[in-house]
Amino acid sequence: MPCIMHLVIHPYLSLRGFFPKQSPVEYANIYIRIPSSVSMERGIIMAIMKQIRMVFDLNKCIGCHTCAMACKTMWTDRDAGQMHMYWMNVETQPGTGYPKDWENQGGWFNADRNTIPLPNIYQGYGAPWEYNYKEVLKTEGGDTSAPKLFPSPKPSEHHYASNWDEDVGKGTFPNSYYFYLPRICNHCTDPPCVEACPRQTIYKRSEDGIVLIDSKRCRGYRYCVKGCPYKKIYYNPEEKISQKCIFCYPRIEEHKGNFCATQCVGRISWIGYADDTNSNIYKLINKWKLALRLHPEYKTEPNVFYIPPLSPPTYSFTGKLTNSPRIPIDMLAKMFGDTHDQNYDQRATRMKQIFDILQNERNKVASGGNSELIDILISRSEADRFQV
Amino acid sequence: MEKKSTENGLPVKNTLSLDLLEHISEPMGKYPYRGWETVYREHWKYDYTGRTTHSVNCAGSCTWKVYVKNNIAFKEEQYADYPDINPTLPTYNPRGCQKGANYKEYVYGPQRLKYPLMRVGARGEGKWKRISWEEAMRYIADKIVKTIANHGPDTITFYSANPAKFAITYAGGLRLANLIGGVVCTFYDWVSDLPPGEPVTWGVKTDSCEAADWFHSKYIMVWGSNLLETRIPDAHFLTEARMRGTRIVAIFPEYNPTSIHADIFIPIRPGTDGAMALGMANFIINKGLHDEAYIKQYTDMPMLIRMDNKKFLRESDMILNGSPEKFSIWDQNTGKLVLAPGTQGFLGSQDWTLNLGPINPALEGVFTAHTISGQIHVTPVFSLLKQKIAAYDPVTVSGITGVEGYLVEQIAREFASAKPARIIAGAGTNHYYHNDLTNRSHILLAALTGNVGIPGGGFDHYVGQEKIWCEEGTFDLASPLGYAKQRYQPTTLWTFIHSHITSDVDNLWPRPIIDYIRESVHNGWMPLYPEGTLDSGKSPKILFIWGANFLNQAKGVESLSANLWPKLDLIVDIDYRMSTTGLYADIILPAASMFEKWDISTTDLHSYINPFTPIIEPQMESKTDWQIWQALARALQETKFSFTDTLPDGTTVNRDFSTLAHDFTAQGTLTSDKAAGQFILDNSVETRGMTMDGINEKPRRFVATSEEFTSDIKDGIAYYGFQRMYELKQPLSTLTGRQQFYIDHPWFLEFEEELPVYKPPVHEDKYPLRWITPHGRWSIHSMWRDAKYQLRLQRGQPIVYLNPSEAAARNLIDNDAIDIYNDHGKMIAHLCISPRIPPGMALMYHGWEHYSFRKGGFQSPTTIRIKPTQLAGGYGQLKFKANYWGPTGNQKDTRVEIRKDKNG
Repeated sequence: MPCIMHLVIHPYLSLRGFFPKQSPVEYANIYIRIPSSVSMERGIIMAIMKQIRMVFDLNKCIGCHTCAMACKTMWTDRDAGQMHMYWMNVETQPGTGYPKDWENQGGWFNADRNTIPLPNIYQGYGAPWEYNYKEVLKTEGGDTSAPKLFPSPKPSEHHYASNWDEDVGKGTFPNSYYFYLPRICNHCTDPPCVEACPRQTIYKRSEDGIVLIDSKRCRGYRYCVKGCPYKKIYYNPEEKISQKCIFCYPRIEEHKGNFCATQCVGRISWIGYADDTNSNIYKLINKWKLALRLHPEYKTEPNVFYIPPLSPPTYSFTGKLTNSPRIPIDMLAKMFGDTHDQNYDQRATRMKQIFDILQNERNKVASGGNSELIDILISRSEADRFQV
Repeated sequence: MEKKSTENGLPVKNTLSLDLLEHISEPMGKYPYRGWETVYREHWKYDYTGRTTHSVNCAGSCTWKVYVKNNIAFKEEQYADYPDINPTLPTYNPRGCQKGANYKEYVYGPQRLKYPLMRVGARGEGKWKRISWEEAMRYIADKIVKTIANHGPDTITFYSANPAKFAITYAGGLRLANLIGGVVCTFYDWVSDLPPGEPVTWGVKTDSCEAADWFHSKYIMVWGSNLLETRIPDAHFLTEARMRGTRIVAIFPEYNPTSIHADIFIPIRPGTDGAMALGMANFIINKGLHDEAYIKQYTDMPMLIRMDNKKFLRESDMILNGSPEKFSIWDQNTGKLVLAPGTQGFLGSQDWTLNLGPINPALEGVFTAHTISGQIHVTPVFSLLKQKIAAYDPVTVSGITGVEGYLVEQIAREFASAKPARIIAGAGTNHYYHNDLTNRSHILLAALTGNVGIPGGGFDHYVGQEKIWCEEGTFDLASPLGYAKQRYQPTTLWTFIHSHITSDVDNLWPRPIIDYIRESVHNGWMPLYPEGTLDSGKSPKILFIWGANFLNQAKGVESLSANLWPKLDLIVDIDYRMSTTGLYADIILPAASMFEKWDISTTDLHSYINPFTPIIEPQMESKTDWQIWQALARALQETKFSFTDTLPDGTTVNRDFSTLAHDFTAQGTLTSDKAAGQFILDNSVETRGMTMDGINEKPRRFVATSEEFTSDIKDGIAYYGFQRMYELKQPLSTLTGRQQFYIDHPWFLEFEEELPVYKPPVHEDKYPLRWITPHGRWSIHSMWRDAKYQLRLQRGQPIVYLNPSEAAARNLIDNDAIDIYNDHGKMIAHLCISPRIPPGMALMYHGWEHYSFRKGGFQSPTTIRIKPTQLAGGYGQLKFKANYWGPTGNQKDTRVEIRKDKNG
């Protein structure tokens, strides 16, 4: 089916430049970037017919990890090679994140792709500890051979695990600050993993824009792990393939929400299709312009968006409440933005604008008015959150 | 070696050349080899699903769907099918947490108990022999019979926690105790979740609104209740209320997960919450921001107090044969002293109402009353309160709490001007020694501003739960001979005495604590079993523990292990997983998990009933708790033992074991777990007309409330407390029939606690760091504390959060192994340095099993500190009832020091 949306054809290929594929033949495959993920094959424009999108409201995230556990117990507790993986993870920010220091590792946009590190499972993702339960507990009878339960390898050896920095934060008490950042694969409009894979094993589905790794073709070279600047692709050393979030496509195909969203007990997430102007994700992203991309400067055009976190004001040295939110605007502006080409000042301005919108709409409702935005943010019914 | 090299680097080039690779012309939208996608669709296939919940004392009560394939329960999902209360309120769906999402780890994990086990080594040594159910039951039955014969039935003690989390399982042990004369230990007071200020002020155990009512508040002070971590399924009602403009004020000593979503964070010194509340109350009264009409009608503020002896002016003071439960107010309209309607003395008459009619009571002034013994001066409670709390001026309060005076005033003004306004409190304020005073001060704020009894307003306490839906049915099942024939034991007192705890708070009171205990027990205010404990040194002999981890969680655990444990001839632990209690038990009986039985769960936080259903068969040799107690009843029946039991009230019961199993199953009508559940539904007003199969089909909202509740439940309205008082003018069960802030019990007068006052936390541990062990995100008490899927998302072992300055002062770096110690005990854990913790505090989320520490346990530095006011009785609402009134086992006054562990 031809795409009937705005066909603004940019004269460049990927946002990151021409693809450095293996053969000259592949250079001839021209990617055309238009807003709703349309691709072109040998001169024929093939649409990504629909693009699924997700919005996380960081003002509702309670850091409970129910999303992470829902995902883990559904998709990644199948074999030992998946134990370090959290396709859906929640990290405390500021913090080192998961995998460790992912924000500093780069991706396919790097000038020199040879310098992109590959996270090691122990140091990079955190050891999936095992415990000596059987020795300590002896639930089937016999003599205890170890008095105490201990993890192996020892946490003291790596000083890192997938949620090592939980609730640590920064600042000086009482002006300490932190927030929770849930992260899945961004199912990017311009996915660097697709580009990075030398076997062309990664693809974007036309019907929903979900990015998948063909587990049958994958041989585990991990160019995708390097290529993804969000580090949301994981290597499975047992199966010797790379694996990632599949946006619960078997459920999306049944018009059910993905697990991390439907199981989100903080009710912080919305899903829908980018071109559905009646959807709440459209209203939050495009109409109210309240939701931002995480590190849009990575030039991948993520389809996961975030409503940035408000925070209680700081205290001055004399103990007076100030008007400054305790999470520095500077930190948030460095993390979130609308597009790859916004500069820092534009991002900081947008951050303040979003906080003003939130505060104004809250005040409006508090004084008896109605607000479409607040109704969406509350989403009294689950049908308000899942529009697939 | 092969594996190692591929983990850290890319594969070598020549593997590529072996691989025939077909060219993909376009991966963006037209990928030709999508056949593999069936792989994940297959993951998602299942044979059938079933409904259950989790009985882990979190007060979550969340309905879950369990997916089963090849008889393995492989995936849990929040069912999310609660019917909405009304469309203007956020839905209760989904409802669950990251722990419930992975309960299967316990169903199939290495912690699961599979067979009855008998200890063969020394207690706690970890040597076990697998035995048959028959052997286990015969052994226990034999011990019970011998113990009753030699020491009496009140040496057999039963401990479990909270019927709300598993009504049938809880009732099973109680039913046997009721039939054989055993002692049932309380839990709500022992775990210090009971807010004693509620029975004192309101005459209720606890009555809090369901979570959806938070959405109605215009102003919420989240005060010592870390909702975001400890009420995970309900937290969204708070963040959603905030979105609609509700102002959220977070009052905590540390910057915690709840504070991050507040509009104002107020850092308060630990344990000084009462001072701040009284400072606010003082400001509100001084500025005339209180709701005068409300306090005249719904509180004891207009009640007259004799200025000569500080007691209420009673009718019995004024006329011969007058009632001591009728009290006076001064009517400004007539200038006369009149009896206030609605007090206990009017119970059953038409004046048992809070309707004041034409009376306009005075709140201030000194009046003259004519008593039998002459003329005296009297003054309203409000006058005395006003004088007393004048001491809590902003400068004084700021000095105590560390909260700037301007902020106390600002918050007071905002709270008083934003009706409906609410205080949400919890363990953060309640786990202190003077919790009763803090509760009373909080309730005072809510009542002064007219917020109690309206949607969106009030004082709502959430930690543990004791307001139990289906209570009548549950206790009918638990006590076939009736509540009055059951020996109940306030556990704090029992543990304190039998563990030989040395009181270190005697200096706070006119007399030593043991004197108050003796007086209380002697007066019959508090029971203490076995009878004769204080006089002849009798001690308990058998302890049954089920659905609880008593030893691991006990305050004063070091004394308890050293002194109480050796007194016990037999400790039986019934559980589906091996816990610290199990490791120190004599017999372990494997119970069915929450996927393997019928049961019922309810919570304060919502108004729906949740069933457990047998989705899979009990694994290995495990049995449901209901069947285990029945098996024990059968084994006891075979002994044909009988005896005559004289109960504390002087009545006697002939206990004939030859019919015990028949009595247990009510002549075979309650043999199955499902039948026991149906019995509960049939005998509770809340669940009239419901069936076990019906509640399995879809969650049902309760249809009525019992007298344990202070409000009716209505269609379309989220439950909130004290509606009967406010709307129907129905008196409370307090002596004055009102929210009672003045208590003229002689002890309260002696201790100068007749009105809410502030008393500082206990400083008897001479160590610098406040030891705070709050409920956390990753466990429900000890549940999931040892579960690896949870531990992998933490630091893998117990940690203590400490401020950077405190760490630096001790030369500690992050992740160091540290000793935490005081005079009561020591433990070893690891350090997590965080600026969210204030200096002067060390914080460890509670519940870690003893076997997770190289030494000690998280309660090792704690002791048991009994507050004498909580032993009081013989006064209106102050009377012992299980889990309603009794001394609390608080622990947050503990102080410790930390140093680097020698062995790193």
